[in-house]
Amino acid sequence: MSRVKIILLAILTIILTISGVQLYRHRHYPLPVVAGPGVTHVGRLSDYLPSLKGTMPDTLIFFLEGREPGGKALILGNTHANEPEGLLAALIMVENALVEKGTLVIIPQFNHSASRTTRPGDGYPLYFDIPTPWGKKRFRMGNRDASPLDQWPDPDVYIHYPERQLLSFIDARNVNRTWPGRSNGLPMEKVTFAAMELIKKEKVDVVIDIHGAETMFPVTNCIVAPEKSAKLATMVSLTVKAMEKFDNHVEPSPPKFRGLSHREIGDYSEAMPFLLEAPIPFLDQPTGPKTEKFLLDGKDPFLLRLAGKKKLFVPYDESGWPMEKRVGQHLSVTLEIIRQFSRRTPERAILIRDVPRYAEVVEKGVGYYFHDPAQAPKERVYLN
Amino acid sequence: MDKIVMVFYYLLTALVAAVVFWNFWLEKKNVDRMVLYLLVLVPFILRLLRVK
Repeated sequence: MSRVKIILLAILTIILTISGVQLYRHRHYPLPVVAGPGVTHVGRLSDYLPSLKGTMPDTLIFFLEGREPGGKALILGNTHANEPEGLLAALIMVENALVEKGTLVIIPQFNHSASRTTRPGDGYPLYFDIPTPWGKKRFRMGNRDASPLDQWPDPDVYIHYPERQLLSFIDARNVNRTWPGRSNGLPMEKVTFAAMELIKKEKVDVVIDIHGAETMFPVTNCIVAPEKSAKLATMVSLTVKAMEKFDNHVEPSPPKFRGLSHREIGDYSEAMPFLLEAPIPFLDQPTGPKTEKFLLDGKDPFLLRLAGKKKLFVPYDESGWPMEKRVGQHLSVTLEIIRQFSRRTPERAILIRDVPRYAEVVEKGVGYYFHDPAQAPKERVYLN
Repeated sequence: MDKIVMVFYYLLTALVAAVVFWNFWLEKKNVDRMVLYLLVLVPFILRLLRVK
Protein backbone atom coordinates (compact mmCIF):
# COMPACT_ATOMS: atom_id res chain seq x y z
CA MET A 1 0.00 0.00 0.00
CA SER A 2 1.30 3.44 -0.91
CA ARG A 3 2.26 5.98 1.70
CA VAL A 4 -0.53 8.27 0.48
CA LYS A 5 -3.14 5.59 1.15
CA ILE A 6 -1.80 4.97 4.65
CA ILE A 7 -1.96 8.68 5.44
CA LEU A 8 -5.51 8.97 4.05
CA LEU A 9 -6.69 5.92 6.01
CA ALA A 10 -5.13 7.35 9.17
CA ILE A 11 -6.99 10.65 8.61
CA LEU A 12 -10.24 8.73 7.99
CA THR A 13 -9.75 6.80 11.22
CA ILE A 14 -9.16 10.01 13.18
CA ILE A 15 -12.27 11.68 11.65
CA LEU A 16 -14.40 8.60 12.33
CA THR A 17 -13.13 8.30 15.89
CA ILE A 18 -13.66 11.97 16.78
CA SER A 19 -17.13 12.22 15.19
CA GLY A 20 -18.17 8.70 16.20
CA VAL A 21 -17.31 9.20 19.87
CA GLN A 22 -19.24 12.49 19.97
CA LEU A 23 -22.31 10.97 18.31
CA TYR A 24 -22.15 7.84 20.48
CA ARG A 25 -21.91 9.92 23.66
CA HIS A 26 -24.85 12.07 22.54
CA ARG A 27 -27.03 9.00 21.90
CA HIS A 28 -26.19 7.58 25.31
CA TYR A 29 -26.15 10.82 27.37
CA PRO A 30 -28.51 10.37 30.34
CA LEU A 31 -30.64 13.39 31.23
CA PRO A 32 -31.25 13.45 34.99
CA VAL A 33 -34.81 14.38 35.94
CA VAL A 34 -35.61 15.11 39.59
CA ALA A 35 -39.11 13.85 40.40
CA GLY A 36 -40.72 16.73 42.28
CA PRO A 37 -42.92 16.51 45.39
CA GLY A 38 -46.02 15.97 43.25
CA VAL A 39 -44.75 12.84 41.48
CA THR A 40 -46.51 9.81 42.98
CA HIS A 41 -45.15 7.14 40.67
CA VAL A 42 -43.14 6.72 37.48
CA GLY A 43 -43.98 4.27 34.74
CA ARG A 44 -42.97 3.56 31.17
CA LEU A 45 -44.73 3.61 27.83
CA SER A 46 -44.03 -0.13 27.58
CA ASP A 47 -46.43 -0.63 30.52
CA TYR A 48 -49.14 0.00 27.89
CA LEU A 49 -47.48 -1.97 25.05
CA PRO A 50 -45.00 -4.60 26.31
CA SER A 51 -43.33 -5.02 22.91
CA LEU A 52 -41.72 -1.58 23.44
CA LYS A 53 -39.88 -2.80 26.52
CA GLY A 54 -36.09 -2.66 26.20
CA THR A 55 -36.21 -0.58 22.99
CA MET A 56 -34.97 2.99 22.58
CA PRO A 57 -38.47 4.39 21.81
CA ASP A 58 -39.67 3.32 25.29
CA THR A 59 -39.83 6.36 27.57
CA LEU A 60 -40.63 7.47 31.12
CA ILE A 61 -44.11 8.52 32.24
CA PHE A 62 -44.50 10.65 35.38
CA PHE A 63 -47.79 10.42 37.29
CA LEU A 64 -48.77 13.26 39.63
CA GLU A 65 -51.90 12.18 41.49
CA GLY A 66 -53.89 14.46 43.75
CA ARG A 67 -55.43 13.42 47.06
CA GLU A 68 -58.91 13.98 45.67
CA PRO A 69 -60.08 12.09 42.57
CA GLY A 70 -60.89 14.20 39.53
CA GLY A 71 -60.04 14.46 35.85
CA LYS A 72 -56.82 13.54 34.09
CA ALA A 73 -54.55 15.55 31.80
CA LEU A 74 -51.73 14.14 29.68
CA ILE A 75 -48.81 16.43 28.76
CA LEU A 76 -46.48 15.46 25.89
CA GLY A 77 -43.06 17.09 25.47
CA ASN A 78 -40.48 16.37 22.74
CA THR A 79 -42.95 14.95 20.25
CA HIS A 80 -40.43 16.74 18.05
CA ALA A 81 -37.13 16.61 19.92
CA ASN A 82 -35.72 19.63 18.03
CA GLU A 83 -38.41 21.82 19.67
CA PRO A 84 -37.05 21.75 23.22
CA GLU A 85 -39.52 24.24 24.75
CA GLY A 86 -41.94 21.31 25.05
CA LEU A 87 -39.41 19.23 26.95
CA LEU A 88 -38.49 22.13 29.25
CA ALA A 89 -42.12 23.02 30.02
CA ALA A 90 -42.91 19.35 30.76
CA LEU A 91 -39.87 19.01 33.04
CA ILE A 92 -40.74 22.19 34.97
CA MET A 93 -44.11 20.57 35.68
CA VAL A 94 -42.51 17.24 36.69
CA GLU A 95 -40.07 18.95 39.06
CA ASN A 96 -42.47 21.50 40.61
CA ALA A 97 -46.17 20.74 40.18
CA LEU A 98 -48.34 19.75 43.12
CA VAL A 99 -51.69 18.28 42.17
CA GLU A 100 -54.50 18.79 44.67
CA LYS A 101 -57.27 17.15 42.68
CA GLY A 102 -57.22 14.84 39.68
CA THR A 103 -54.12 13.54 37.94
CA LEU A 104 -51.40 14.97 35.73
CA VAL A 105 -49.61 12.47 33.49
CA ILE A 106 -46.42 13.79 31.88
CA ILE A 107 -44.26 12.23 29.16
CA PRO A 108 -41.35 14.68 28.80
CA GLN A 109 -39.57 12.81 25.96
CA PHE A 110 -42.41 11.42 23.87
CA ASN A 111 -40.16 10.66 20.88
CA HIS A 112 -37.33 9.33 23.00
CA SER A 113 -35.50 7.92 19.98
CA ALA A 114 -35.53 11.35 18.25
CA SER A 115 -34.01 12.96 21.33
CA ARG A 116 -30.96 10.72 20.83
CA THR A 117 -30.07 11.71 17.28
CA THR A 118 -29.30 14.92 15.44
CA ARG A 119 -30.38 16.36 12.12
CA PRO A 120 -27.89 15.47 9.37
CA GLY A 121 -26.56 18.44 7.43
CA ASP A 122 -28.09 21.24 9.46
CA GLY A 123 -25.21 21.75 11.89
CA TYR A 124 -27.34 21.44 15.01
CA PRO A 125 -25.53 21.60 18.36
CA LEU A 126 -25.55 18.20 20.06
CA TYR A 127 -26.44 19.71 23.46
CA PHE A 128 -27.71 22.92 25.00
CA ASP A 129 -27.09 24.17 28.52
CA ILE A 130 -29.65 25.98 30.67
CA PRO A 131 -28.17 28.13 33.46
CA THR A 132 -29.60 27.31 36.90
CA PRO A 133 -28.87 28.64 40.42
CA TRP A 134 -26.66 25.53 41.02
CA GLY A 135 -24.80 25.48 37.66
CA LYS A 136 -25.63 24.52 34.10
CA LYS A 137 -28.09 21.75 33.30
CA ARG A 138 -27.22 19.98 30.05
CA PHE A 139 -29.89 18.67 27.65
CA ARG A 140 -29.60 16.62 24.48
CA MET A 141 -30.68 18.51 21.34
CA GLY A 142 -32.65 16.03 19.26
CA ASN A 143 -34.23 15.83 15.83
CA ARG A 144 -37.79 16.02 14.51
CA ASP A 145 -37.83 12.35 13.56
CA ALA A 146 -36.78 9.16 15.32
CA SER A 147 -33.26 7.89 14.85
CA PRO A 148 -32.79 5.61 11.83
CA LEU A 149 -30.87 3.36 14.23
CA ASP A 150 -34.24 2.56 15.81
CA GLN A 151 -36.45 2.50 12.69
CA TRP A 152 -34.90 1.78 9.31
CA PRO A 153 -35.33 1.72 6.33
CA ASP A 154 -37.86 4.42 5.53
CA PRO A 155 -40.62 3.42 3.09
CA ASP A 156 -40.82 5.13 -0.33
CA VAL A 157 -44.20 6.52 0.74
CA TYR A 158 -45.55 6.39 4.26
CA ILE A 159 -49.12 5.04 4.28
CA HIS A 160 -50.92 6.23 7.40
CA TYR A 161 -52.78 3.63 9.46
CA PRO A 162 -55.77 3.29 9.56
CA GLU A 163 -56.79 6.11 7.18
CA ARG A 164 -54.40 5.01 4.40
CA GLN A 165 -53.50 8.61 3.53
CA LEU A 166 -50.22 8.87 1.61
CA LEU A 167 -47.68 10.94 3.51
CA SER A 168 -44.02 11.83 3.06
CA PHE A 169 -41.62 8.91 3.61
CA ILE A 170 -39.85 10.77 6.42
CA ASP A 171 -43.08 11.01 8.44
CA ALA A 172 -42.90 7.29 9.17
CA ARG A 173 -40.42 8.36 11.88
CA ASN A 174 -42.45 11.41 13.00
CA VAL A 175 -44.71 10.58 15.97
CA ASN A 176 -46.94 13.51 15.05
CA ARG A 177 -47.95 11.64 11.89
CA THR A 178 -48.37 8.12 13.29
CA TRP A 179 -51.39 8.63 15.60
CA PRO A 180 -53.39 6.59 16.52
CA GLY A 181 -50.79 3.93 15.74
CA ARG A 182 -51.00 0.13 15.84
CA SER A 183 -49.60 -2.53 18.12
CA ASN A 184 -47.80 -4.45 15.35
CA GLY A 185 -46.68 -1.50 13.22
CA LEU A 186 -43.43 0.43 12.86
CA PRO A 187 -41.76 1.45 16.16
CA MET A 188 -43.19 5.00 15.97
CA GLU A 189 -46.68 3.58 15.33
CA LYS A 190 -46.17 1.49 18.46
CA VAL A 191 -45.25 4.62 20.45
CA THR A 192 -48.49 6.40 19.52
CA PHE A 193 -50.50 3.19 19.97
CA ALA A 194 -49.12 2.84 23.53
CA ALA A 195 -50.04 6.48 24.23
CA MET A 196 -53.58 5.83 22.92
CA GLU A 197 -53.81 2.82 25.24
CA LEU A 198 -52.73 5.08 28.12
CA ILE A 199 -55.35 7.68 27.17
CA LYS A 200 -58.11 5.05 27.03
CA LYS A 201 -57.12 2.95 30.06
CA GLU A 202 -56.43 5.94 32.33
CA LYS A 203 -59.54 7.75 31.04
CA VAL A 204 -57.58 10.90 30.17
CA ASP A 205 -59.78 13.97 29.62
CA VAL A 206 -57.30 16.45 28.13
CA VAL A 207 -54.14 15.87 26.05
CA ILE A 208 -51.70 18.75 25.52
CA ASP A 209 -48.94 18.18 22.96
CA ILE A 210 -46.27 20.92 23.26
CA HIS A 211 -44.29 22.06 20.20
CA GLY A 212 -42.38 24.90 18.60
CA ALA A 213 -42.77 26.20 15.03
CA GLU A 214 -40.87 28.45 12.63
CA THR A 215 -41.62 32.18 12.59
CA MET A 216 -42.13 31.92 8.80
CA PHE A 217 -44.73 29.15 9.20
CA PRO A 218 -48.34 30.33 9.58
CA VAL A 219 -49.23 27.71 12.21
CA THR A 220 -47.08 29.25 14.94
CA ASN A 221 -47.73 30.98 18.25
CA CYS A 222 -51.06 29.22 18.48
CA ILE A 223 -53.25 26.47 19.90
CA VAL A 224 -54.27 23.89 17.30
CA ALA A 225 -57.60 22.36 18.25
CA PRO A 226 -60.15 20.09 16.57
CA GLU A 227 -63.88 20.84 16.66
CA LYS A 228 -64.42 19.26 20.09
CA SER A 229 -61.66 21.39 21.71
CA ALA A 230 -62.18 24.63 19.77
CA LYS A 231 -64.46 26.47 22.21
CA LEU A 232 -62.20 25.81 25.14
CA ALA A 233 -59.11 26.76 23.11
CA THR A 234 -60.77 30.06 22.14
CA MET A 235 -61.51 30.87 25.78
CA VAL A 236 -57.89 30.08 26.67
CA SER A 237 -56.58 32.26 23.85
CA LEU A 238 -58.74 35.22 24.92
CA THR A 239 -57.84 34.77 28.60
CA VAL A 240 -54.06 34.69 28.18
CA LYS A 241 -54.29 37.69 25.85
CA ALA A 242 -56.33 39.68 28.39
CA MET A 243 -54.61 38.54 31.60
CA GLU A 244 -51.02 37.83 30.58
CA LYS A 245 -50.65 40.07 27.52
CA PHE A 246 -49.36 37.57 24.97
CA ASP A 247 -50.92 36.37 21.73
CA ASN A 248 -51.77 32.71 21.15
CA HIS A 249 -54.42 32.43 18.47
CA VAL A 250 -56.49 29.33 17.69
CA GLU A 251 -55.91 27.27 14.54
CA PRO A 252 -58.48 24.65 13.50
CA SER A 253 -57.20 21.08 13.16
CA PRO A 254 -57.67 20.12 9.49
CA PRO A 255 -60.03 17.10 9.38
CA LYS A 256 -58.42 15.61 6.26
CA PHE A 257 -54.79 15.77 7.36
CA ARG A 258 -54.24 12.49 9.17
CA GLY A 259 -51.86 11.21 11.79
CA LEU A 260 -51.56 14.36 13.90
CA SER A 261 -52.17 14.30 17.66
CA HIS A 262 -54.76 17.10 17.55
CA ARG A 263 -56.78 15.16 14.95
CA GLU A 264 -56.48 11.45 15.82
CA ILE A 265 -56.64 11.66 19.64
CA GLY A 266 -59.91 13.53 19.31
CA ASP A 267 -61.30 11.14 16.70
CA TYR A 268 -60.16 7.88 18.31
CA SER A 269 -60.73 8.60 22.03
CA GLU A 270 -62.94 10.57 24.40
CA ALA A 271 -60.08 12.99 25.23
CA MET A 272 -59.91 16.61 24.08
CA PRO A 273 -56.58 17.23 22.31
CA PHE A 274 -54.68 20.51 22.04
CA LEU A 275 -51.39 21.15 20.26
CA LEU A 276 -49.42 24.20 21.41
CA GLU A 277 -46.99 26.03 19.15
CA ALA A 278 -44.50 28.71 20.22
CA PRO A 279 -42.23 30.48 17.72
CA ILE A 280 -38.74 28.95 17.53
CA PRO A 281 -36.58 31.02 15.15
CA PHE A 282 -33.86 28.33 15.28
CA LEU A 283 -36.00 26.14 13.00
CA ASP A 284 -36.40 28.79 10.28
CA GLN A 285 -34.31 28.20 7.15
CA PRO A 286 -32.95 31.64 6.14
CA THR A 287 -30.92 32.23 9.30
CA GLY A 288 -27.31 32.43 10.41
CA PRO A 289 -25.53 29.43 12.00
CA LYS A 290 -27.62 27.08 14.14
CA THR A 291 -25.74 27.76 17.36
CA GLU A 292 -26.71 26.96 20.94
CA LYS A 293 -26.96 30.72 21.64
CA PHE A 294 -29.41 31.17 18.75
CA LEU A 295 -31.47 28.23 20.01
CA LEU A 296 -31.77 29.88 23.43
CA ASP A 297 -32.18 33.58 22.57
CA GLY A 298 -33.89 33.30 19.17
CA LYS A 299 -32.00 36.34 17.85
CA ASP A 300 -31.04 36.39 14.18
CA PRO A 301 -30.17 39.38 11.91
CA PHE A 302 -31.61 37.73 8.78
CA LEU A 303 -34.97 37.11 10.42
CA LEU A 304 -34.90 40.70 11.68
CA ARG A 305 -34.58 41.93 8.09
CA LEU A 306 -37.38 39.60 6.99
CA ALA A 307 -39.55 40.92 9.83
CA GLY A 308 -39.00 44.42 8.39
CA LYS A 309 -40.37 43.11 5.05
CA LYS A 310 -43.38 41.58 6.87
CA LYS A 311 -42.40 38.02 5.93
CA LEU A 312 -42.85 36.55 9.41
CA PHE A 313 -46.07 35.41 11.06
CA VAL A 314 -45.11 36.68 14.53
CA PRO A 315 -43.83 40.00 15.86
CA TYR A 316 -40.01 39.98 15.78
CA ASP A 317 -37.51 42.60 16.97
CA GLU A 318 -33.97 42.83 18.40
CA SER A 319 -35.06 40.92 21.52
CA GLY A 320 -35.67 37.74 19.43
CA TRP A 321 -37.82 34.96 20.89
CA PRO A 322 -35.93 33.79 23.99
CA MET A 323 -36.52 30.36 25.51
CA GLU A 324 -38.05 31.97 28.64
CA LYS A 325 -40.87 33.48 26.58
CA ARG A 326 -41.55 30.24 24.71
CA VAL A 327 -41.56 28.02 27.80
CA GLY A 328 -43.52 30.63 29.81
CA GLN A 329 -46.22 30.80 27.13
CA HIS A 330 -46.52 27.03 27.03
CA LEU A 331 -46.87 26.77 30.81
CA SER A 332 -49.49 29.52 31.00
CA VAL A 333 -51.52 28.10 28.13
CA THR A 334 -51.31 24.57 29.59
CA LEU A 335 -52.46 25.77 33.02
CA GLU A 336 -55.22 27.83 31.44
CA ILE A 337 -56.51 24.87 29.37
CA ILE A 338 -56.67 22.74 32.52
CA ARG A 339 -58.32 25.58 34.49
CA GLN A 340 -60.95 26.23 31.83
CA PHE A 341 -61.65 22.50 31.49
CA SER A 342 -62.03 22.20 35.28
CA ARG A 343 -64.49 25.12 35.35
CA ARG A 344 -66.65 23.50 32.68
CA THR A 345 -66.61 19.99 34.15
CA PRO A 346 -66.22 20.37 37.96
CA GLU A 347 -66.73 16.62 38.52
CA ARG A 348 -63.57 16.02 36.45
CA ALA A 349 -61.63 19.02 37.75
CA ILE A 350 -57.82 19.01 37.90
CA LEU A 351 -56.29 21.42 40.41
CA ILE A 352 -52.58 22.14 40.10
CA ARG A 353 -50.33 24.54 41.99
CA ASP A 354 -46.66 25.59 42.10
CA VAL A 355 -46.25 25.66 38.32
CA PRO A 356 -44.92 29.08 37.22
CA ARG A 357 -46.75 31.13 34.61
CA TYR A 358 -45.47 33.29 31.74
CA ALA A 359 -44.38 36.41 33.67
CA GLU A 360 -42.56 34.40 36.36
CA VAL A 361 -40.60 32.31 33.84
CA VAL A 362 -39.65 35.42 31.82
CA GLU A 363 -38.47 37.13 35.02
CA LYS A 364 -36.61 34.25 36.71
CA GLY A 365 -35.54 32.15 33.70
CA VAL A 366 -36.22 28.53 32.86
CA GLY A 367 -33.30 27.12 34.88
CA TYR A 368 -34.59 28.64 38.13
CA TYR A 369 -37.19 25.85 38.29
CA PHE A 370 -34.84 22.88 37.89
CA HIS A 371 -33.53 21.07 40.97
CA ASP A 372 -29.94 19.92 41.42
CA PRO A 373 -29.85 16.14 40.80
CA ALA A 374 -26.67 15.91 42.93
CA GLN A 375 -28.56 17.25 45.96
CA ALA A 376 -31.78 15.28 45.42
CA PRO A 377 -32.39 11.84 46.99
CA LYS A 378 -31.12 9.19 44.55
CA GLU A 379 -34.46 7.41 44.41
CA ARG A 380 -36.05 10.65 43.13
CA VAL A 381 -33.63 11.07 40.21
CA TYR A 382 -34.60 9.40 36.92
CA LEU A 383 -32.38 9.20 33.87
CA ASN A 384 -34.32 9.87 30.72
CA MET B 1 -40.91 -8.58 8.80
CA ASP B 2 -39.63 -5.03 9.47
CA LYS B 3 -36.61 -6.45 11.29
CA ILE B 4 -35.81 -8.79 8.40
CA VAL B 5 -35.93 -5.86 5.96
CA MET B 6 -33.67 -3.89 8.31
CA VAL B 7 -31.13 -6.73 8.43
CA PHE B 8 -31.08 -6.77 4.62
CA TYR B 9 -30.43 -3.03 4.59
CA TYR B 10 -27.46 -3.50 6.90
CA LEU B 11 -26.16 -6.23 4.58
CA LEU B 12 -26.60 -3.89 1.60
CA THR B 13 -24.74 -1.18 3.51
CA ALA B 14 -21.89 -3.56 4.23
CA LEU B 15 -21.77 -4.57 0.56
CA VAL B 16 -21.66 -0.96 -0.68
CA ALA B 17 -19.01 -0.11 1.93
CA ALA B 18 -16.91 -3.06 0.78
CA VAL B 19 -17.25 -2.03 -2.90
CA VAL B 20 -16.28 1.57 -2.11
CA PHE B 21 -13.30 0.41 -0.07
CA TRP B 22 -12.27 -1.98 -2.88
CA ASN B 23 -12.31 0.93 -5.33
CA PHE B 24 -10.12 2.89 -2.93
CA TRP B 25 -7.76 -0.10 -2.72
CA LEU B 26 -7.51 -0.43 -6.50
CA GLU B 27 -6.88 3.26 -7.09
CA LYS B 28 -3.15 3.68 -7.61
CA LYS B 29 -2.48 7.26 -8.70
CA ASN B 30 -5.42 9.64 -8.43
CA VAL B 31 -5.37 11.04 -4.87
CA ASP B 32 -8.58 13.03 -5.44
CA ARG B 33 -10.43 9.79 -6.13
CA MET B 34 -8.91 8.14 -3.06
CA VAL B 35 -10.17 10.99 -0.87
CA LEU B 36 -13.56 10.82 -2.57
CA TYR B 37 -13.92 7.09 -1.89
CA LEU B 38 -13.04 7.57 1.78
CA LEU B 39 -15.48 10.46 2.20
CA VAL B 40 -18.25 8.34 0.69
CA LEU B 41 -17.29 5.56 3.08
CA VAL B 42 -17.83 7.63 6.27
CA PRO B 43 -21.67 7.42 6.60
CA PHE B 44 -21.64 3.72 5.68
CA ILE B 45 -19.17 2.91 8.45
CA LEU B 46 -21.06 5.06 11.00
CA ARG B 47 -24.28 3.21 10.16
CA LEU B 48 -22.65 -0.23 10.27
CA LEU B 49 -21.21 0.60 13.70
CA ARG B 50 -24.70 1.84 14.73
CA VAL B 51 -23.31 5.22 15.70
CA LYS B 52 -25.38 7.41 13.34
